[in-house]
Amino acid sequence: MPRKRSLYSTQFRQFGPTRRRFLQGSAAAIAGVTLSNCRQNIAEGPATDETTDAAPTDGGGAEPGVLHVYTWADYTNDALVEAFKEQTGIDVIVDVYDSNETMLAKMQAGGGDAYSIIYPSDYMVQQMIELGLLTSIDKDRIEGLDNIFDKWQDPAYDPGNTFSIPYAWGTTGLLYNKEVVSGTPTDWEYLWENQGDLSRRITLLDDVRETMGAVLSSLGYSYNSTDPAEIEAAFDRLIELKPAIASFMSFGFEDALFGGDLNMVMAYSVDAIAATLEDERMEYFVPESGSSVWTDTMIIPVGAPNVDAAYQWINFNLDPAISQMSTEMLFNATPNKVAFDNLSDELISNTDLFPPQEVLDRCEGIAPVGEATALYDEFWTRVTSA
Amino acid sequence: MTASPTSKRWRFSQLELGQQFKRLLGALTLLAPPGLWLILFLVLPTLLILDISLVPGLRPGESGDGYGLGNYSRVFNPFDAAFDSVYLQVIGRSLYYATGTTLACLLMGFPVAYWLALMAPRRWRNFLVVAFILPLWTSSLLRAYAWISILRPSGLLNSFIGWLSGGLPGVQLPEQAWLYTSAAVLIGLTYNFLPYMVLILYASLEKLDISLLEAAADLGATPRQTFWQVTVPQTLPGIAAGCLLVFITSMGDFVVPTLLGGASSMTISRLIYNQFLGITRNWGLGSALSMVMILAVSLMIALLLKYGDRDSVKEA
Amino acid sequence: MSQTVSPSIASPQTQQVLDVELRQVSKYFGGEAAIQDIDLKIREGEFFSILGPSGCGKTTTLRLIAGFEQPSAGMVLIQGRDMSRTPAHRRSVNTVFQSYALFNHMTVKDNIAFGLRVKRMGRSQREQRVADALQLVKMGSFAHRYPQQLSGGQKQRVALARALVNRPAVMLLDEPLGALDLKLRKQMQVELTNLHQQLGITFVMVTHDQEEALSLSNRIAVMKDGDIEQIGTPSEIYDYPQTPFVADFIGETNLLQGEVEFADSQMLRLLTPEGTTVLVNRSEANLPDLKTAVVSVRPENIRLSQEAPLNEGNCYSGYVKHIMYLGTHLHCVVQLQTGERLTVMQPNRSEQSLTPETPVYVSWLPSDCLALAA
Repeated sequence: MPRKRSLYSTQFRQFGPTRRRFLQGSAAAIAGVTLSNCRQNIAEGPATDETTDAAPTDGGGAEPGVLHVYTWADYTNDALVEAFKEQTGIDVIVDVYDSNETMLAKMQAGGGDAYSIIYPSDYMVQQMIELGLLTSIDKDRIEGLDNIFDKWQDPAYDPGNTFSIPYAWGTTGLLYNKEVVSGTPTDWEYLWENQGDLSRRITLLDDVRETMGAVLSSLGYSYNSTDPAEIEAAFDRLIELKPAIASFMSFGFEDALFGGDLNMVMAYSVDAIAATLEDERMEYFVPESGSSVWTDTMIIPVGAPNVDAAYQWINFNLDPAISQMSTEMLFNATPNKVAFDNLSDELISNTDLFPPQEVLDRCEGIAPVGEATALYDEFWTRVTSA
Repeated sequence: MTASPTSKRWRFSQLELGQQFKRLLGALTLLAPPGLWLILFLVLPTLLILDISLVPGLRPGESGDGYGLGNYSRVFNPFDAAFDSVYLQVIGRSLYYATGTTLACLLMGFPVAYWLALMAPRRWRNFLVVAFILPLWTSSLLRAYAWISILRPSGLLNSFIGWLSGGLPGVQLPEQAWLYTSAAVLIGLTYNFLPYMVLILYASLEKLDISLLEAAADLGATPRQTFWQVTVPQTLPGIAAGCLLVFITSMGDFVVPTLLGGASSMTISRLIYNQFLGITRNWGLGSALSMVMILAVSLMIALLLKYGDRDSVKEA
Repeated sequence: MSQTVSPSIASPQTQQVLDVELRQVSKYFGGEAAIQDIDLKIREGEFFSILGPSGCGKTTTLRLIAGFEQPSAGMVLIQGRDMSRTPAHRRSVNTVFQSYALFNHMTVKDNIAFGLRVKRMGRSQREQRVADALQLVKMGSFAHRYPQQLSGGQKQRVALARALVNRPAVMLLDEPLGALDLKLRKQMQVELTNLHQQLGITFVMVTHDQEEALSLSNRIAVMKDGDIEQIGTPSEIYDYPQTPFVADFIGETNLLQGEVEFADSQMLRLLTPEGTTVLVNRSEANLPDLKTAVVSVRPENIRLSQEAPLNEGNCYSGYVKHIMYLGTHLHCVVQLQTGERLTVMQPNRSEQSLTPETPVYVSWLPSDCLALAA
């Protein structure tokens, strides 16, 4: 799932919401959109500085002792990178992307041999397998895969985890300011019912599959519908909501939401949780009629340099202690059972982070829709143009 | 022994030919680097885009269904089953944004450039020019974000309007939705590209011969007449260059429409972006749209060049 | 042209009609005086030149009349009306610019028609006037050319026509011939004189070329350092310069400075620091009793001979220092025994055999030189 997260959320919590920091963070995040690829060297220290300067995007990963990782913003941080370096002596250089599609475009344009580790989401894993972009994982070199919850042992997008290792999961839902929103919203339906009050005060994700999926779900259809009639019905319903939608945005809505310019936004759980912890007026929920649940994975692309280091990185992240650290610091729900059990009660009972099973039962993972992709795109063009 | 005149002439012409050849070779050597540059970075990529645009629905990793005009037909041919008027709508909106931005930049930029070039104190001039183009040194993203904080419902603009309404009894100015409207996009684009316009117009106006303005006044022209009949025609090349630059760059910009435009701000550049990096990855359609944009821009340049040169054409 | 009529301020001193008058005009640029307390009266129909070295303020004076500058103090009157604060486009004067300032985006015809067009003159009348103006400057066949297709002399004619077509009360010419080569300049000088006589318009010309000023003008004002040194007819200026500067600037002269030894109503005797005594006829009563004075003697008024001359005037011996052959004349520099050097212009007579170091006598009559205040 595209998690176009701003760097802002964690910094925000640590330092408080100053406008300047917000601008910096957001601008950095959008720089990702604009440039598709924003090089971000998370690790510090003279050794890494050197390699950063010298590291070209293509083939840069061939240097021994350096691991090039291509991931979402905020999917790793200094502490993790430092810990990895301490353990293995390998420097990590992180580039970030803002959407699976951007990452795929880069891979297909021949950028695959620049990175040893990439973090595609579930449906993208499936697509990349079909396109022959992934190397199969040598299970003999993997340690701790059995710590993963059963339901990720044989996921639909990659049966038997042949090509990918689950890293984190989360949901998509609605984040709102409970002081200005009337009643207690529980479903997507709330948006249409209160369209008048919410006029130009909501944003939906700038992601065709998520937003169209949400509307499909509200109509009782599958998030992954391939039926043209259903998709068109969803399009019509989205057009109906159009006057209330201020914008389609996947990140950077926090300031407007906290400031009262927005009442409700569609968001990924990682961003939403950060917002609820930052401002107690914020509330997050996964709509009753169903939403998407997503899994982000670690893969090794075909032609990856320094495969040994890649395996070391995967094993490092499968380590329950490390996985626990990730969840505590970055709010991506861990699929690691041991790590989960070790989490504090407060985190485990945070239903935003770990929704109850009956909620998850109503959610779907986004799956490739084949030929219908073009249809989604056409309707999306119309929605954003109407 | 004397050489016959013919052989002399022959030798002479041979010499001349050799010189001409050398001259030609020299010219070619001089032309080679820019020529090569043009071919490598302009002609070849454009041909590549043209090639891709002629394969309907081409996706990366696929071979496509052979050549055809399907991608263009989808955009332009209303009788095609795949035709969707939304593409023309998007192109229209992009043209509207670009035209509006160009006009706004020209209307606001000309007085500023005029003041800078002809009226501002000479010793302050360089400083003022630098001050005016200073915004160019910041990221355009940052500038867009600054506008968000001004234009949003609880932003500076509405606060100011509210303050005005409070301060002037009897005047009730409505607070409005500014952010996520076409107006916001035009404001953001104009702000982004105004410095370029000012810079180009300034360069043009600075070269303006002041004695021409004095001559016009001397002949009885009012300042207004002088402006329209001398200043504007004299700086027409600068005006054309400024407009061209702003038009092309604002047409290609997608940061501002994305951040300030809200839910209904699809532009051709964003659409192209989506075709290459979005879920459909329809490179064929994306390339066709790119070609449309390239052609539209080329046409603009051609028209303006012709228009700008009309005087010299007329005199020839 | 409609404008508020300011009260006519007649000049009591003179009965003549004045086209341009400057009264106590000063102009400062950032504290620096370009011109200071200038008085100038230019009569109707006159060809008036303002002459001076560069930086003397002559162009500023012209620009004040044209209206491109406003006086810092004083008053500019055109045809008796105070125009000090009237902008250029409302003054009935037209300027021919040094650089011509032709509009290169217009044809010759459109350039000339510009002044009439902005005054909204009817088309047929306008065409007629433009045709006449083109005729006047002999540019009829160039009407549809653009300025950049013209030679310097042709541009000059177009610039003239563009100003003349408006039938101004006063034509201002800023170094009009400065950019032309010598031959063309001579030719244009003749044409300017003809035009002036033909049209009867007042011409005010700024120039640094004394020869041009002398040959074209009815009267000349010589300027120096923002001040007018002397106003007069060409012969007054040349023959009776009132200051050493004018004497030196107009034509060539020898200046000898010294103490006044003796003076009566007829004569003045001067002793230079080198010990040379010079006798001067006191022709004009313009010299008060002076302690020191400057004697100006023109090179052509000095006689050069190899035998001692017989006249009772000023006579000195020396030798030829330099000699320059100028065709009809010889240009000699003579070193006097007392130390001064004099420039002598001698008709070229073949019997003389002057070479450097030749001992010679120089002499002139007291009536051939002038005594000026130092």
